[in-house]
Amino acid sequence: MKIRSQICGVLAAGCAVGVVVPQRAAAVISDEQFNQLVNKVDRDDQRIDQLEKTHQQDVQIHVQDQQKIHELEQKLGETHTIATGAAQKAEAASQMQPVASIAAGPSAKHNFMMVGDAEVQFAKPEGQHSGFQLADFAPIFLYRGGDDVLFEAGFDFMLANNAPGSAGYTTTVNLSFATLDYLWNDYVTVVGGNMILPLGTYNERGAGWLNKIPDSPMARGILQGNGVGMQLRGAVPIGDSGQMFTYAVYGVNGPGSTQTNTIALQNTIDLTSGNVSYPNMHANPSGGGRLGWFYAWKPHTDLELGLSGQSGEWDNNGQLLWSAAVLDAALHITPYFEARGEYIHTWQETADLGTAHPRGWWVQAGYKLAGLNLDLPYLSNLELLGRFDTLNDGLGTKTERVTAGFVYYFSNTLLFEGDYEFVHSRGGPAAATPGLLLQLSYGF
Amino acid sequence: MNGFSSAKTRPRAGRNLMAILVVAAVYAASLAVGRGEDAPPAKASKPAAKKKLTGAELYAINCNRCHPERYATEWNSSQWKSLMLHMRVRANLPAKQAKEIIKYLQEDAGN
Repeated sequence: MKIRSQICGVLAAGCAVGVVVPQRAAAVISDEQFNQLVNKVDRDDQRIDQLEKTHQQDVQIHVQDQQKIHELEQKLGETHTIATGAAQKAEAASQMQPVASIAAGPSAKHNFMMVGDAEVQFAKPEGQHSGFQLADFAPIFLYRGGDDVLFEAGFDFMLANNAPGSAGYTTTVNLSFATLDYLWNDYVTVVGGNMILPLGTYNERGAGWLNKIPDSPMARGILQGNGVGMQLRGAVPIGDSGQMFTYAVYGVNGPGSTQTNTIALQNTIDLTSGNVSYPNMHANPSGGGRLGWFYAWKPHTDLELGLSGQSGEWDNNGQLLWSAAVLDAALHITPYFEARGEYIHTWQETADLGTAHPRGWWVQAGYKLAGLNLDLPYLSNLELLGRFDTLNDGLGTKTERVTAGFVYYFSNTLLFEGDYEFVHSRGGPAAATPGLLLQLSYGF
Repeated sequence: MNGFSSAKTRPRAGRNLMAILVVAAVYAASLAVGRGEDAPPAKASKPAAKKKLTGAELYAINCNRCHPERYATEWNSSQWKSLMLHMRVRANLPAKQAKEIIKYLQEDAGN
């Protein structure tokens, strides 16, 4: 009994221990090892999730690739169809009669265009009636033949109100210039025809809308303005800074006169070389030229100096010379300030009075109020101008003129100019009249 | 050009105005010099002697000497070519500079 009861007791105790003690206690695994296993299982789960996602992305890419392949196959089919159609059309076209086609080539080498200017002027001379003095239309026709040839002709259609006391008005049409220009090379241009002469720079750069003051300096009147002849001109740059030397040399029908040599005023000489009243009766053409130097510190700040001259016979017998020399200068400081001027001296040999020296000079300065940054748009469109010019006719009369004026810029090409001129003379009648001048100018 | 023919003389008024104009011109020049550094840089203001000038710079240097600058869109490319021939002759522009300027203008030329 005792043994049986002991066995039963052991079994009962064993069962009790088996129930109470946890199962893990039965294995030989520590808590740390158990936690490591748990962590490992978690990491494996995460890796599996990532792999599944990657797989899904691969599947999507594969589907997209399949779609692209399908589209490419469709396009290939269309291309094949088009190519087949084109081949059929080409075959059909080859059986047709050839026709002239319009080829798309380079742009035309020739070009014709018109530029120029137009003005209308109002004047109120002191002691005289006021009125609209003139209306002027001055087109310039340009015909370019290729890269090196240009024909240019400037006309001047002018309706001028006749002087007070006279009736009506006078309409004139003048050929201001007409030249054929050939760019021989980078340094030489050949000019032939009725040329604006490079005596100074005023004439060549003095279209109506460029002058800023409506009338010209008095001394310009003692120079020959244009003439028929030939000219070589060009420029030689100095380095890459914009500095340059310029030159012009020409032969031209100079001033002439049908008068006898006993009368020798500049008014008897045809300085325009185009007035039929004074044809060129001299024996030989005149020669002349200009040398210039230009230096730019920066855009809109520069200096230009020039020296020009001309000499030739003016009388019928070819014995008397008319010569001229012009010193010109122009200065720009910033886009707002400009000053320029010329000194002009002429020598006119006469048979009875020796050599006369008609001469004069002028200087003009302007300042654009835009330089003041006033934030006043209308005032900023103004340029204030002043000019002094003088003329000694070489025969005892000297005229001085002071001009104060302005330019209002409606745009870069539409200008309203106004000035008042004060005139003083000694020794004879003045060469100019004081008064008010207003002008509307348009450059096109 | 006009009917001015009388010989009215005003010596004092003219000379006084001349003196005023001279003073005004000198003052304007000094203003311009003073503003030269403060003024907004021109479209193409670069040191002139240190590098080759661009077409824009050459355009600003040469064209504004005689007339207000024109817009590139005012003419088409072929017309600009004719105009540059005209200005190269009239203003005695060096060939290389004229070519740079025409390239600049043709970039934005009108149709």
